[in-house]
Amino acid sequence: MRIRLRQLFGFLRRFKDWPGTEHRRAGSIAVGAKLLGLMALSFLAFGSRTTTGLLWLTVINLALLLVFRYGFIFLRREIKVFLWQTAIIVSLYMLRFGWIDGFKQGAMISWQLSLAYMPGVIFIKTTPQPRIVETFSAVAPYRAAFVMATCFKFIPLILTEIRNIYEGQVFRGAKILRRDLLNPCNWPDLVFCLALPVIIRSMNLAGEITLAAKARNFGFKKKRTCWPGI
Amino acid sequence: MDPVVRIKNYSYAYPDTTKFAIRNINLDIEPGQCHCVSGPTGSGKTTLGLAIKGLLPPGNEEGRITGVCATDDGGTDIGIVLQNPEIQILASSIGAEIAFGLENLCVDPATMPTKVREALDAVGLDRPMEYETASLSMGQKYRLILASHLVMNPRLLILDEPAGQMDPDGLKKLLKVIQALKNTGMSFLLFEHNPEFLTEIIDAYWHLDSEGYFRAGCLKMSDYDPSMSGSPGRGKPGATDRKVVSARKLTVSGADGSPIFSDLFLKVAKGQRVTVYGPNGAGKTTLLRCLAGFVQASAGDVMIFGKKPIPGNLRGRVGCLFQNPQQQLFENTVYDEVAFPLKRFGKKGTAMASKVDETLNMCEIGDLAGFSPHKLSYGQKHLVALASVLAADPELLLLDDPFAGLDQSRCELILNLLSRLNQDKDLTVIWACHHPQMFSGWADLEFFMERGKIVAHSS
Repeated sequence: MRIRLRQLFGFLRRFKDWPGTEHRRAGSIAVGAKLLGLMALSFLAFGSRTTTGLLWLTVINLALLLVFRYGFIFLRREIKVFLWQTAIIVSLYMLRFGWIDGFKQGAMISWQLSLAYMPGVIFIKTTPQPRIVETFSAVAPYRAAFVMATCFKFIPLILTEIRNIYEGQVFRGAKILRRDLLNPCNWPDLVFCLALPVIIRSMNLAGEITLAAKARNFGFKKKRTCWPGI
Repeated sequence: MDPVVRIKNYSYAYPDTTKFAIRNINLDIEPGQCHCVSGPTGSGKTTLGLAIKGLLPPGNEEGRITGVCATDDGGTDIGIVLQNPEIQILASSIGAEIAFGLENLCVDPATMPTKVREALDAVGLDRPMEYETASLSMGQKYRLILASHLVMNPRLLILDEPAGQMDPDGLKKLLKVIQALKNTGMSFLLFEHNPEFLTEIIDAYWHLDSEGYFRAGCLKMSDYDPSMSGSPGRGKPGATDRKVVSARKLTVSGADGSPIFSDLFLKVAKGQRVTVYGPNGAGKTTLLRCLAGFVQASAGDVMIFGKKPIPGNLRGRVGCLFQNPQQQLFENTVYDEVAFPLKRFGKKGTAMASKVDETLNMCEIGDLAGFSPHKLSYGQKHLVALASVLAADPELLLLDDPFAGLDQSRCELILNLLSRLNQDKDLTVIWACHHPQMFSGWADLEFFMERGKIVAHSS
């Protein structure tokens, strides 16, 4: 039994960083299977209506983190988002359905949303970008595959830009601090002082990334090869 | 010897505009040469680079660019490294990043690792191929981008503002790499408005003026005299009596628990000008964010105006400009942009209007009041962002290298403006940047940060 489990874990770990040059197609299939499996987990989270079902899905997600050797500590940001999301959803449900019912329903919805989001995080954080591009390229035009894979890579950069804009606007008087946003009268500031500049910046960023890719001859040929990894 | 590139009477106007961005360019670049084009921000330097690489959208073109060896895939054997390395790094590992160009050239994957290793060796980046690109310093990122172009065997490499993003140490290493590549016959074209950092590798100077006209140039050293910006603020009576910032054994740790900087002591009095220098990644940005109250200290104390920094309580007293300050613009006109903080801090009617006019004139952008800030040039946007912070009359101004990439004349304008405010209104300025030479002699207090420690300071 122990040997079988070890074999299974070894097989699953191959999806994490597929190295082979001679097994490239098999590698793409493995990443594709991993993607489909994680998508199925995500859909199951939406379908589960019981605490037992959600508990099982939580155990499976945690086991996958273990299998892919991805430290729980690296999920701090996701945990923070989950806690904020829970606080907001539970408060709104409690306002609408009362203290006890609202708490129960709100907590369930928040739990479901987090379990739907988690498999995507696991996929992105445990699959090398070239493998994602290669796998998507098998089913979509390589430009689309590149866009999909690159979008994820720039999320941290966009978050930093959002932070810079946010902090600068606070000192210009924008009422966008957490305590300011408790008052709905200040919500327009969030749209005009933060969301609008972030949208403009994201569009500029997309243009700059395109230019950087073209500067290295991206899109000049109809096909492209793929870095084999080391 | 045939030139790598010959540009003959070349002019270009962007689509939907009639005004030429660059005019009548004539330039020959021989193998092994390094040419440098300087000029003010917005003069068309990047446009010229993109024209040579063939990346400009179809617009109104005159003249010819020849000698560019077209490859069979429709590309050219010219590499262009754009300004910001962060945006050009498209992959998460070093190997994948350098191989990106090879993938586009349909190179056999089996031969890629050897080529990638050669390119890494050429730029002196001694890291394993699976090393994460996010863990590199800014200087290393720039050399990585350089390697990712070198791997495609270009005959000419165009570098757009290489000194803008890098600290002196990173720049020194880059100069060595360029010199070695020049010796192998590779040509370089640099676009740089502060070429004094790059003199040892440059063979010819050119100048693009603000109208896009091209002419032979020369090395123009900065003639800015800090003594013209008035005496330092601490010279004023009583200036040192009131502490604006004090930090004692201040330590801030990153998400993984390791300190970004530790045991830092800092005392800044009202009306002082302070510069914090240090290489990329030294902890300057985190220090300023901590002073502003956006980052919590993991040990030690920090006080701003005698209290612990809480962003909500510092509004109106502290002004903050981070890198790329033009990002924070969102109003429809320059006037509204500058009026925004005044409205928020309760100014109305004629008091507000006169303050906006005063600030715009002080920043020399009074004639732009009715324009959309989004349609202004790069340099003008910076001035609008600065005006929108200064309008609220902050007592403390935190600057995180917001003017990197601006030309010398605009930098001088800003320095003079801040000096005047410092003299007249006792404005305290803490300015973080990575080029000590830029403002040498301007500050009352200079700190040098390295690896999370203040390693030297002068006053």
